[in-house]
Amino acid sequence: MTCFPSVRRIRLILVAAFLIAFAQAQESPTAPPVPLPNAKGSLKFVVLGDFGTGKQPQYDLAAQMTRFHEGFKFDVVILVGDNLLGAERAADFKRKFEDPYKPLLDDGVKFYGTLGNHDAREQRNYKLFNMDGKLYYSFKAPNEKVRFFMLDSTYPVPEQIEWLEGALKDSNDAWKIAVFHHPLYSSGGRHGSDLTLRGVLEPLFIRYDVSVAFSGHDHFYERIKPQHGIVYFVAGSGGQLAAGDIDPRSPLTAKGFDTQQAFLAVEIAGDTMSFNAITRDGTIVDSGTVKRRVPDTSP
Amino acid sequence: MRARNLLGALVLAALSQGRAHAAAAPERSAAETQAVVAFQARVADYVALHRKLEAGLPKLPKKASPEQVDTNQRDLGLLIKNARSDAKRGQLFAPDMEALIKRTLAAIVTGPDGKIMKASIMDENPGVPALSVNDRYPDSVPLSTMPPEVLAALPRLEEDIEYRFIGERLVLMDAHAHIIIDFTDDVLP
Repeated sequence: MTCFPSVRRIRLILVAAFLIAFAQAQESPTAPPVPLPNAKGSLKFVVLGDFGTGKQPQYDLAAQMTRFHEGFKFDVVILVGDNLLGAERAADFKRKFEDPYKPLLDDGVKFYGTLGNHDAREQRNYKLFNMDGKLYYSFKAPNEKVRFFMLDSTYPVPEQIEWLEGALKDSNDAWKIAVFHHPLYSSGGRHGSDLTLRGVLEPLFIRYDVSVAFSGHDHFYERIKPQHGIVYFVAGSGGQLAAGDIDPRSPLTAKGFDTQQAFLAVEIAGDTMSFNAITRDGTIVDSGTVKRRVPDTSP
Repeated sequence: MRARNLLGALVLAALSQGRAHAAAAPERSAAETQAVVAFQARVADYVALHRKLEAGLPKLPKKASPEQVDTNQRDLGLLIKNARSDAKRGQLFAPDMEALIKRTLAAIVTGPDGKIMKASIMDENPGVPALSVNDRYPDSVPLSTMPPEVLAALPRLEEDIEYRFIGERLVLMDAHAHIIIDFTDDVLP
């Protein structure tokens, strides 16, 4: 009789401890990470690539993006390609894009697409990718002096390169940001740096003061050490994952992460770009700042 | 115009150099050059048919829903199938062109970086047991990677059509109608 209350108490304590642990387990992986400077009036956007699997990890990362959006009101998501992996029937657009990102779409976040090697060209007409029927295009960000140059790196035909050179030359935006699927620099074992494309694009980026380039294709997150003053990111970790694919001996890597899905949150205020790479469970695996490149006016 | 040609030449030169260690595409003989010219004429005929039939359909809006994209694709596919109901394998990839493709791709994928390139082509590319001209591109097969070195070595196509690999077959695909225009088997050694 005397031990009954104590057993009951122990049970209650155990149940309470279990409930607390369970609640923490539910909360901690999904708690929104501390946002970037989160300054008023800055440009806030997210970079996402190689995501359209329709599988649970994509949905988990999308949920994390939604939670993050509650504290960091990004207006734009930049897609670096491989938007729909596998079938591209009407139902696939829903399962692999519209459903996972529904809360963001409903909240007015605009997604801007580029095409990856697995994407059908008809995606350029899909309204929610905002490509206006074009394979390559540029658009001005809703705030700050930022212009994105969205390229089709699967078919870098001369007409596109000619267009790019003209568009970069004509742009007087403070930030020129290039977006395309195949990375010019990457430490991936499966794909790696696309030297061919680098030979075509990099001279233009250098000449016309592109500050940052976002790509995907390799299924992980990587920030490359600045190359000719340009910071390159690989953000192909939005759905598919190539765990262990980053070559640990690569001299290119400033920071690499290939063990979990991740997206890149970015904020531009004035001449500074801040970034956080955030995983499916809400961990920040990389962060830092980039200063924009300024035209060389020396004689 | 001259500047544009120069830029085009520079881009194509850069593209045809490929990765640092990729094998260059073999030079074409006079007969092979002739085969390419004839192939491009057949492709031009196909593209003319495609555009004529496409013009008869309601224009796909630039901000289309997935259903509109899908319907437009299938409608155009049906029109092309009907117009090419007697189309057979080898009509565009004629035997001389098929031989050239095999020789070209063999040179590329047996180069120093050939293994990586072939792995890249075969990545998420399970293939299908059987394929027919005028079939819809199989929904179960992701669109394959087309390495730039491969694209640079093959005759350039109009935007309406593209090369893809389905397994080790090289397919000529209507990018808008999502149907198989022609294909050739076992092109990768």
